[in-house]
Amino acid sequence: MSAERSKVTLVVDGVEVTADDGAMLVDAAKEGDVEIPVFCYEPKLGGPVGACRMCLVEIEGIPKLQTACSTPVRDGMVVYTRTDRVIESQSAVVEFLLVNHPLDCPVCDKGGECPLQDIAMGWGPGRSRMTEPKRHFRKPMPLSPLVRIDRERCILCYRCVRFSQDVAEDEQLQLLERGASSHVGTFDDHPYIAPFHGNIIELCPVGALTAEAYRFRARPWDIEDSGSVCTLCPSQCNVMFTVRDEHVQRVLARDNDDVDAGWLCDKGRFGFQMITSEERIVEPRVGGSRAGWEAALDAVAERLRSAGERTAAIVGGQTSNEEGYLIQRLLRGALGSANITSVDELEAGLARRLAAPELGAAVPDLDAAESILVVGTDPLNSIPILDLRIRRAIRQGRARLVVASERPTALDGGAEETARYAPGDAAGFLAALAAELGNRRQAGAGTPGRAADEVPGDGSDWAEGARRIAGELRPGKTVIVYGERLGRGPGGDSALASLLECARALDLATAGAGVIGVPEGANGRGLREVGCLPGAGPGFAEAPAGRGLDRIKQGLLDGELDAVVLVHADPIRNLPDGPGWAEALRRARTVIAVSAFDDASTETADIVFPAESYAEKEGTVTHPDGRLQRLRPAVPHPGNVHPIWQVLAELGARLGHETGIGSVPEAVATIAAEVPFYAGITPEEIGGRGVRWQERPAASAVAELAAVPPEQRTSRTNLDRDDSGTLTADRLRLGTYPALWADEITDRNVALRFLAPAQTVELAPSDGERLGLASGDEVEVRSNGTGVRARVALNERMRPGAVFLIEATAAENANALPAELNVEVIKP
Amino acid sequence: MPETRVLFRDIDAPGLATIQGYRDRGGYGALKRALHELEPDELLSSLEDSGLRGRGGAGFSMGKKGSFLPRGEMEKYLCCNADESEPGAFKDRELMQKNPHQLIEGCAIASLAVGATYAFVFIRGEYWEIADILDRAVGEAYDAGYLGADILDTGVRVELIVHRGAGAYICGEETALLDALEGKRGNPRLKPPFPAIQGLYGGPTLINNVETLSNVPHIVNNGADWFKGFGSEQSTGTKVVSVSGCVQRPGNYEIELGIPSREIIYGLAGGPPKGRRVKAWFPGGSSAPVLTEADLDLPYTFEDLAKAGSMLGSGSIIVADDTISIPELALRTARFYHHESCGKCTPCREGTNWTTKMLDRVVRGEATPMDLEIIAGVQEKIIGHCLCVLGDSMAMPVGSMVAKFRDEFEATIEAAREAGHGALDHSPLDRPLTTGAQAA
Ligand SMILES: Cc1cc2nc3c(=O)[nH]c(=O)nc-3n(C[C@H](O)[C@H](O)[C@H](O)COP(=O)(O)O)c2cc1C
Ligand code: SF4
Ligand code: SF4
Ligand code: SF4
Ligand code: FES
Repeated sequence: MSAERSKVTLVVDGVEVTADDGAMLVDAAKEGDVEIPVFCYEPKLGGPVGACRMCLVEIEGIPKLQTACSTPVRDGMVVYTRTDRVIESQSAVVEFLLVNHPLDCPVCDKGGECPLQDIAMGWGPGRSRMTEPKRHFRKPMPLSPLVRIDRERCILCYRCVRFSQDVAEDEQLQLLERGASSHVGTFDDHPYIAPFHGNIIELCPVGALTAEAYRFRARPWDIEDSGSVCTLCPSQCNVMFTVRDEHVQRVLARDNDDVDAGWLCDKGRFGFQMITSEERIVEPRVGGSRAGWEAALDAVAERLRSAGERTAAIVGGQTSNEEGYLIQRLLRGALGSANITSVDELEAGLARRLAAPELGAAVPDLDAAESILVVGTDPLNSIPILDLRIRRAIRQGRARLVVASERPTALDGGAEETARYAPGDAAGFLAALAAELGNRRQAGAGTPGRAADEVPGDGSDWAEGARRIAGELRPGKTVIVYGERLGRGPGGDSALASLLECARALDLATAGAGVIGVPEGANGRGLREVGCLPGAGPGFAEAPAGRGLDRIKQGLLDGELDAVVLVHADPIRNLPDGPGWAEALRRARTVIAVSAFDDASTETADIVFPAESYAEKEGTVTHPDGRLQRLRPAVPHPGNVHPIWQVLAELGARLGHETGIGSVPEAVATIAAEVPFYAGITPEEIGGRGVRWQERPAASAVAELAAVPPEQRTSRTNLDRDDSGTLTADRLRLGTYPALWADEITDRNVALRFLAPAQTVELAPSDGERLGLASGDEVEVRSNGTGVRARVALNERMRPGAVFLIEATAAENANALPAELNVEVIKP
Repeated sequence: MPETRVLFRDIDAPGLATIQGYRDRGGYGALKRALHELEPDELLSSLEDSGLRGRGGAGFSMGKKGSFLPRGEMEKYLCCNADESEPGAFKDRELMQKNPHQLIEGCAIASLAVGATYAFVFIRGEYWEIADILDRAVGEAYDAGYLGADILDTGVRVELIVHRGAGAYICGEETALLDALEGKRGNPRLKPPFPAIQGLYGGPTLINNVETLSNVPHIVNNGADWFKGFGSEQSTGTKVVSVSGCVQRPGNYEIELGIPSREIIYGLAGGPPKGRRVKAWFPGGSSAPVLTEADLDLPYTFEDLAKAGSMLGSGSIIVADDTISIPELALRTARFYHHESCGKCTPCREGTNWTTKMLDRVVRGEATPMDLEIIAGVQEKIIGHCLCVLGDSMAMPVGSMVAKFRDEFEATIEAAREAGHGALDHSPLDRPLTTGAQAA
């Protein structure tokens, strides 16, 4: 992608150093083992600001001392970092910083891992001549319910403010007042509530910003660091667990530019409390009572043996590749059932084609793309870290962003164009977009093709949006970030088929371009690739057709299926038609749940196995861009929790299906032997940074993935259904969406609960006016006799005629409504 | 020695501030000439030839700065710095109040020279009356076709916008001015990139002082050689000098650069009241290291004042006679910079704060001679270490006062000590000044 940078040679303190041309002097000096102290410099935040003045050095030929953090190296530069002048400036800056610093190290959480301590010891004058009173502020006060600020300790390096202004772009943190009275705060002392704000704690070079949850919990010498991956969402950020006495006390970023660019969302950072929650299931349960493992395994084996091929399994996104692989072995191998799926099921042929290596973009491709299309997803809700990444790409001025979605997204503000189609119309819109792009491509080649407005349905409207969107997309230089949920529902297959057509028309099977699918579950991609897909085995191998989610539900309802195994999955809360699932699970002869917590679905379970938390797991997961990443256990299993892979392997054995898998590396090896494009992969190769399988030699072995004939041409039948097209005033169309904080993770972490949204119904202001509704009104959203209570939020960016509710809220869950497009909004 | 009036010609004539009054005296002739007879490069080179140096403080060649802007089609900007907030400076105020069109014409010509389509006058908030005058004049210039999308039917576009600042000294620093103009907190930016390459909204930007730009029409009308006929080799032209402090006739005087400073302070401004002597004077605003009576015969030029260890700066002379307490003057100076420091960089933020506290103790009699060492040392630790020169702007004059009037500082401490600690509970300066440091 980026060409090798040319090198320059310079001399730092007499040592010859070779560095990348354009690198900043501080970084180049490291090559010569010279450390130049810094406070405000943090490249993750963008360009240097030169505020703290800690990094002043002497450069031959320049009379004034220069800030090494902002001086790019040049060939032949001669730099001194330890001359009298430099030493004097360094000790001056340290002395100045301490003029107003309380030095309350003994009671400061940062003590022992504090850059100010280290730099004061290494470069400071040793003692201060300052005898005046220091400035005083109210001691740590809440900046948000999760973060406290001690403004006396703040050295005004601007990092936190820059994060808020320039990275998260929430613009809530400000420097207030000026001069020596400057302090960090928010407008009118409003709490700083924003999804990424926890990053400022880690950015702060002193103990000014502390996590409510970590205050006074540990000292650096009490703790151990344990690197792993956050599996609370598909971003799969690389994390470092801070462990004290076998408890996770804190989660820090483990900067991996290929994945997270060094940031975490607040869910990942603060969502660890649930690991030690009192409410965790830590023992197997049979028929509602505690049971030993032997008894539980026997009970399950017996029930599954009798259910046999009338068994189905649903795996949730927190499931690892090894667990997913073993559960599909259990079903396919031991029980002869093909009914294995995940919450991210896709039609097998489409899944295979969408996974084609040439077509897959890597996360860093977003940085260099010329255009980015976000379609059918709001990254902030579904893959938060990509929201920051896309913002950065736009800020850096390289990429033009376009957004096509049914609901307004957090990225709309930075988009050149947005197209808003009606809920349920994704397939129509994408067909129009594919037609428009195909047409443009052929026009480029001299043969115009079909025009977008020839697509059936609300042609004019879709075509207009498609034209605006298509106009921004650069062939061969575009990354499409799409929601895999586009594949749901009646038009799902055709929507994804059109997406593939768009990719083809845009020549996205090119280096630096491609598509990234955003699954619902953290490991949605990995689970499909290891075979948790009806109709495709590990590596998308041909396999007997099985039931998908809807038909599993149906099978349980009408008695064609006897048993269902749920691994990290709660269909009642998280899948559409929750009431239907509740009924299906109630009717099932056997429900087996592997879960860390009780939920609506475990309530129906006959046998419950305790699940590991993500901090206890060993194994691998696959990032939405194909990067295999390693999970490493940070803490031991609590209570009587056993590794799930072991439980599944054991069950297989009891059912007469020996897998020969006795350890996680063996599981990885087995998967690598079966999934051709994972061939030869080992945990060591994956290492701490992960590897994208598309970039390994084995990927070429599956070039045929892409070549699989498009057996399913876009079927347009479902576009002709009578409710497509113009929305009329009296028929509101319902869409639902996953909100960042509406999930069980939020509910299970006391600290995060305040973020859980109450059910809200979003409407366009014109609809609000017509119905006499104002923001804040309490209403009921009704469909087919069922209702969900919600508060009205009028949103100017909503498409008239559409209403949106949040999925998976703890109460008044939108999934409780029947799968029906038309709803009424009524004031009770 | 009399004044040499170029910018101030007919400055008090009634109606000069109107477009008619300005045109009656040949106004906007230079703009026409610039539009019809000169190429932008010719304009720039004649400005450079004239030797015109910036009148806002740094004294950099205007023509040279203009030539740093990249050529070619792109969004470029001109910013006129009318923030005039330095203690002792009030020349831009009179120039804009009484002859706004001279500045507008200068802005229009400078925009042509560098290819800027948008020009902004950033005027300090407290000059609201002057801003109204400017706005009125700008309206007249638009109506007359000197500004707008198609000036004088030549197809050239120059828009001029008067922007009122919120009243912060730091917003006179050119990059803080840009941030403030963009609607951000007025903090200096890191340089490089210099505004000429990447300034307002990231576009190449020329920033000049009001007086600098007011000189431009005269140079276009009369030529570089005419301009060089005034002043010394390195300090050409005339200069409007604001004289204040202990003089009998404070005010603005336009002088030919190079006349003896004594002529300005005594000849024009009348010197201190009878029976008093000049003890110290700031030759270039409160940021300039102080000079003493012995320096009064220095020619008033950039180079001579620099040689004497001070600077011409914005050309504002503040005179302190022998009734003035230098320690109190130092404290007042430090307070100003402490109050105005933006707080972005460490040495200035903490150094101005610390120095002020120490000087306050000196004046209150709670200091020892050791503290003078520390005060002097702290100034040295500020100078050359800051992000912009506001920090230096306190450290240089305060440092110079401690160095040159050490005896008086020691005597002040001694006297206050003999009178008993804390005898001077509050310095007389306490009342009118607040530091804003009261913590929430
Ligand atoms: C703290 C500070 C305040 C300043 N205030 C002003 C000001 O009020 N007016 C001004 O013209 N220049 C001011 N300057 C100088 C400007 O940064 C800049 O050098 C000047 O506007 C350039 O114009 P000139 O070249 O025409 O002098 C200030 C500089 C500093 C560091
Ligand atoms: S709170 Fe911390 S990160 Fe923010 S400015 Fe202060 S020292 Fe820097
Ligand atoms: S963005 Fe997702 S993976 Fe990253 S920290 Fe947040 S929840 Fe975890
Ligand atoms: S020197 Fe002072 S005014 Fe200038 S950037 Fe630093 S703190 Fe701000
Ligand atoms: S690290 Fe260079 S100025 Fe702060």
